[in-house]
Amino acid sequence: MRFTTKQLTLCALLAALALALSYVEGMFPAPLPLPGVKLGLANIVTLFALCALGAPYALAILLVRVLLGAMFAGNASALLYSLLGGLAALGVMALLVRAKRLSVYGVSIGGAAAHQCGQVAAAIVTLGSLAPLAYLPALLVVSVFTGALTGFVTGMLLGNRFLKNVAE
Amino acid sequence: MNRFPEQKPNRYDALVILVVLALALLCAARFWLAPTDGAAEVVVRADGAEIDRLPLADAERTYQNNGYTLRIAVTAESVRVTQADCPTQDCVHTGRISRQGQSIVCLPARIVITVEGTGAAPYDAIAG
Repeated sequence: MRFTTKQLTLCALLAALALALSYVEGMFPAPLPLPGVKLGLANIVTLFALCALGAPYALAILLVRVLLGAMFAGNASALLYSLLGGLAALGVMALLVRAKRLSVYGVSIGGAAAHQCGQVAAAIVTLGSLAPLAYLPALLVVSVFTGALTGFVTGMLLGNRFLKNVAE
Repeated sequence: MNRFPEQKPNRYDALVILVVLALALLCAARFWLAPTDGAAEVVVRADGAEIDRLPLADAERTYQNNGYTLRIAVTAESVRVTQADCPTQDCVHTGRISRQGQSIVCLPARIVITVEGTGAAPYDAIAG
């Protein structure tokens, strides 16, 4: 993968934006008293980067966001959760975008659901117990709504002519 | 390189939602249909290894693991985490659990509290 200066700048900006979004998100109380329930605002950046720049760029942005996020939070154990969640979301969304039939909503919801699965998988690995699976049904139902919300925002961003010009 | 998905939802999106909900249902069924087996007891695991096992009867216990402390209260019907020094307090917010197969998970302390039948466990512990 080669970066032009413009792409590098754009990726750095998007990574900073994703980092800021996940930080801001942490300042709001969780909408439900369930571990792992978040709006997934950083996923807006991942999906935007995936569509506007391509999967390798989205992956680079994701890795920077996850690593710096864990470093700023000073919480290495959270790294596995956001890494597995983020990678699962990006992987599923890359496949769904490739399918071409889905709108931005379907892709985003698929990504949000995959993110929850990835996080539950991380919890299963850390705990050495299948108990976290009990949270998955509720998390998946919530992800339909959060995914639709982030899909809506991403759709607006992708439809923005200025952003489109910048990305091309 | 640039593949912009449509901005209007279509029927294929509904398919994604259905798949996600079906997955949720499938996963939930696993817990609803878990067989109850004999009297219930409370099993506490830290890092996947059992550290305590006590009957559903009035008791208070304190556990420490991974630098965090949990206090649990057991009654004849249920068990709950009353106090935890973790930042998220998810385990405290989980509230009471009473049915066999239910569990309270504390991620920072890596402790899982499960209500199990005295017979076989509804699921096996797996290695990390």
